[in-house]
Amino acid sequence: MKKSVVLGGLMAATCIASAASADMLDDIISSGTLRCAVVLDFPPMGMRDASNNPVGFDVDYCNDLAAALGVKAEIVETAFPERIPALMAGRVDVGVASTSDTLERAKTVGFSIPYYSFENAVVGNEKAGMKTWEDMKGKTVGATAGTYEAIWIEGKIKEWGEGQFRPYQTQADVFLALSQGQIDATVATVEVSEANVKSGNFPGIAIVDKAPMVPDYVALFTMRQEYGLINYLDLFVNQQVRTGRYAELYKKWVGEGVPADLTVKGVSR
Amino acid sequence: MFSYTFQWNQALNRLPAMLDGAWVTMQIAVLSMVLGILFAIVLTGCRLSGNRILSGFATTWIEVARNTPALFQIYMAHFGVASFGLYFSPITSLLIGITFNNAGYLAENFRGALKAIPDTQTRAARSLGLTPIKAFGYVILPQMLRISFLPITNQMVWAVLMTSLGVTVGMNTDLYGVTQDLNALTFRTFELFALAAVIFYVIVKLINFGARLLAARLFRY
Repeated sequence: MKKSVVLGGLMAATCIASAASADMLDDIISSGTLRCAVVLDFPPMGMRDASNNPVGFDVDYCNDLAAALGVKAEIVETAFPERIPALMAGRVDVGVASTSDTLERAKTVGFSIPYYSFENAVVGNEKAGMKTWEDMKGKTVGATAGTYEAIWIEGKIKEWGEGQFRPYQTQADVFLALSQGQIDATVATVEVSEANVKSGNFPGIAIVDKAPMVPDYVALFTMRQEYGLINYLDLFVNQQVRTGRYAELYKKWVGEGVPADLTVKGVSR
Repeated sequence: MFSYTFQWNQALNRLPAMLDGAWVTMQIAVLSMVLGILFAIVLTGCRLSGNRILSGFATTWIEVARNTPALFQIYMAHFGVASFGLYFSPITSLLIGITFNNAGYLAENFRGALKAIPDTQTRAARSLGLTPIKAFGYVILPQMLRISFLPITNQMVWAVLMTSLGVTVGMNTDLYGVTQDLNALTFRTFELFALAAVIFYVIVKLINFGARLLAARLFRY
């Protein structure tokens, strides 16, 4: 008696589960809303304007994606470390959150082809008197926890065997600490560094050098098993470049110049 | 909806690093409690002193510690004091923040414990010729600590859990910080944080168990 009840319950649960998880692409289209995880603490990719509305490259990118799907876009503000929980818990459908597509992470989530690429800069407190990136050796260096550049500099510091690494939860905290002199330097994307140095919110900091790391390709991400959606995202990224929208968004949010090449020479994907 | 495959070995592989983090967490918690108890005794003394400045100082401390979030206290101990040119490393800031919080709560516990000790005890001690300080130190203090033993263990548990707030000031060596770092690296959020939760749980259970053993030894009549 009891066993059959449990069995029946299980069967019912599986039926509901299998019906609900048809395909995420279908789910998005039928729900009429695309929910994107966007980090709004990462200018110019994601930030808030004077009237507190989310704006930025990633926000526009999400809006474009929603328009292509014919649905409404919903920007879900997500901190860097919370991107994955937000996705897994079903609070968002897609991450448009400047997420570096490392192999380690690709074991957990599904990445599209890269939609943007960052170069990183070393920003120093003027009092630290740094000239090149190698002057970071032995210094206290901070970065935003969970970012590609944080992983890189932490590795470098371990390799050098001297100096200290400090991860902060938000980009703003890193620059606050840098401006206060709590840390001597940080590694951040050129875009973020230039925006923060120019803003004047953080006195006493200056860009020192480029960080000699592999370009930080960032990709859209979603559930790893959602091939239908990933396939769509790949094509969408391709179309953004093809139609010139990528260059347009670059000009709008980053500035004059040529946006980074999203292809890697000698290999295809 | 929740279609996710748990890969527990991805988290278990990182267990040694997380246990190192747990050790750091324990050290911070114990140190913050030892300092917290000392400061709380001083605060209690300040309150009893009858001196308006001293008791005003103690009251302010206790009010701020008990009525503002611990996160705020730790954040202030790092970014707040830095605006005045005082730089503390993340671990020091965390220690200051938790100690400040502990001292505030414990002082309030001590006040409750003091209420449970009859006034007549002080009077009896004083009439035996003990100075006010000695009467407090030899007669009242031991009873106060005994009565507030359980609240102290409670605060100890709270101190362990509060170490997880250290990430906001750049800690990455405590249990929560290590977990957060590994999460960024691998995106195995659920497995890693579930494991961290288990470790926290075990630490707290050990503290409770240790406290019970200690109580059995200390408080035999």
